[in-house]
Amino acid sequence: MKHYRILIVTALVLLGLGALFLALRPELTATTDEPREQVYDIEIEDDAMSPVEVGVGQGDQVTLRFTSDAPVEVHLHGYDLEEEVEPGEETELSFEAELSGQFEIENHETEAALGALLVEPR
Amino acid sequence: MPRRALIPALTLLLLLPLVPSPALAHGFGQSYDLPLPLWLYLFGAGAVVLASFIPISLFADKGKTTRDAPYRYPRFDLLWIRLTRAVLTGRIMLLGLRLLSVGLFLLVVLTGLFGRQGADSNFAPTFVWILFWVGLGFFTAFVGNIWPLVNPWKVLFEWAETFVHRLRSGSSIELGEPYPASWGIWPAVALYAIFVWVENIFSGSPIPFNISVLALSYSVLTWGGMAVYGKETWLRRGEVFSVFFGLLARFAPTEVRVKNPRFCRQCSDDCRAAGKECVNCYECFERAAPEDREINVRPPAAGLARPEPIPPGGVFFVILVLAGLAFDGLLETPLWTQFRIATSIPQTLGLVLAPLVFLAAYLGFVKLSQLFGGGTARLAPLAAAYVYSLVPIAIAYQVAHYYTLLLIQGQGVIRHVSDPFGWGWDLFGAAGYTIEPGIIGAAFVWYSQVALIVGGHVVAVYIAHLIALRQYEVKGRALRSQIPMLALMILYTISSLWIISQPLILEENAAPAQGDASSEPTPPENLREPPMPDPR
Repeated sequence: MKHYRILIVTALVLLGLGALFLALRPELTATTDEPREQVYDIEIEDDAMSPVEVGVGQGDQVTLRFTSDAPVEVHLHGYDLEEEVEPGEETELSFEAELSGQFEIENHETEAALGALLVEPR
Repeated sequence: MPRRALIPALTLLLLLPLVPSPALAHGFGQSYDLPLPLWLYLFGAGAVVLASFIPISLFADKGKTTRDAPYRYPRFDLLWIRLTRAVLTGRIMLLGLRLLSVGLFLLVVLTGLFGRQGADSNFAPTFVWILFWVGLGFFTAFVGNIWPLVNPWKVLFEWAETFVHRLRSGSSIELGEPYPASWGIWPAVALYAIFVWVENIFSGSPIPFNISVLALSYSVLTWGGMAVYGKETWLRRGEVFSVFFGLLARFAPTEVRVKNPRFCRQCSDDCRAAGKECVNCYECFERAAPEDREINVRPPAAGLARPEPIPPGGVFFVILVLAGLAFDGLLETPLWTQFRIATSIPQTLGLVLAPLVFLAAYLGFVKLSQLFGGGTARLAPLAAAYVYSLVPIAIAYQVAHYYTLLLIQGQGVIRHVSDPFGWGWDLFGAAGYTIEPGIIGAAFVWYSQVALIVGGHVVAVYIAHLIALRQYEVKGRALRSQIPMLALMILYTISSLWIISQPLILEENAAPAQGDASSEPTPPENLREPPMPDPR
């Protein structure tokens, strides 16, 4: 008797969870479904990026174009990419965003966090 | 110096090196997890409520409780099988593990003192903060407790004891001062609080030299405690890692057990007080004859429902563990940052407040549970009885929060083993190993985090019900008493989910010390936005 009850309750709970999952899950056929090219202009001022966060989708071809008020060695965590940025010059960092996750962008000398790259999974 | 003053003096000594130094405290042990998306957070919250019905359905019947029946669970003795017995009891195996552990301990101390001081170019930080603290915790909870076997402080103390004994037979390095019973495990509580502070707030925690100094200070304190009060007493009451791993070991799917009560007569603790059984009492296990030992496989979490007496400080220790983990996550949320900017409350005060808030919530809900259940149950014993049922929630959160860190940043140890001091060595040809960050996708991380947290909640509710059956005469009362406990657990679990759904706060922007940050606190809404359109 007890065993039947737990089986029935477990089945009902799993059904409910499935329904809840389908109801809440966002549509996957949104416009962002296809990987695309993304270009961002980023200004660095006082060791802070503007915009402070860059959001892309997994698989996107990303180009970050940095300008800075001071010389800075930009380091993108996870992807482990580095680029020297000199004031008055535009420096590009190009890569395919194949890793999903949240990756800090830091000033490599001072190790101060400048901002972050967010790669949403596809 | 009188002996009684020794412990406070040693504690002071431990605190001395903690004067904060200018630090490169950034990004050590950072994970790449994306915050849980809102829809998944909502799903998780719904799942927590729905899934609670599964354990409840097991108990929803009438009749008498199992109040006076001994607590039993299925178990299987691994020492029955020749192969596992050879592996688990082989002398060479055990000695090898101890030597490895002492070697690693010495390596941490030496690399910290003499190695290159970058957190990333030295063996000590990755080993201590990721492999030992996170990794060994997971191992203990999901495999079993090997700490009593490999604890380097215990092993070295025993070696010293053997040496002194050989030198002059009959002499001992233990003074055997009586340990005040009212202290309970409060020394371990205090040390755990210091540990959580060092881990989360002390900005010098990833610096190898500091790790080394802390390890040495802790060694002095631990050996002092063992010498004054006796090795076993201090391991049980004051050695914080033994107490912490011992707590996780109650959740573990394995246990050690001594069949013959005669070995427990000399136990420094009354280990058979709980159901006349000696389970996970490592002192008696070591003393017992081989044929009286068992190493059992048992259902996970079963050990949490054993009717064990809780020592003074025991309830607070569990609450501190739970609050410490939550606080670790809370520190990184925009809400906390804004709160700090608004109130300019120091981080350390937050660490003091968090366990008190958690304790107040726990006691409040236990009081409600007492009212709902009726009968004669008193508050303090009830609060003690239920406290281990919170452990699955803490473990689930810890795993959800840290497993990617272990899998990704933990890889750093491969490189550090080849070049522990950061001096450019390449002992095993792996000094050039670079961390592979792409082994788990962000979507898998999300789903596994939600599954872990909901799973931990279900187990916690089940354990609390088992405990309730011992507190009441009739099942109806036990079930009713669980309504507030269920509410408390849903509250804890949903706050775990909430924390991992919060966006990353960039330390530099969050620091209120920088003038412009206070005028422009980072609004959480902005951080939650989906990928922005191409700005061109």
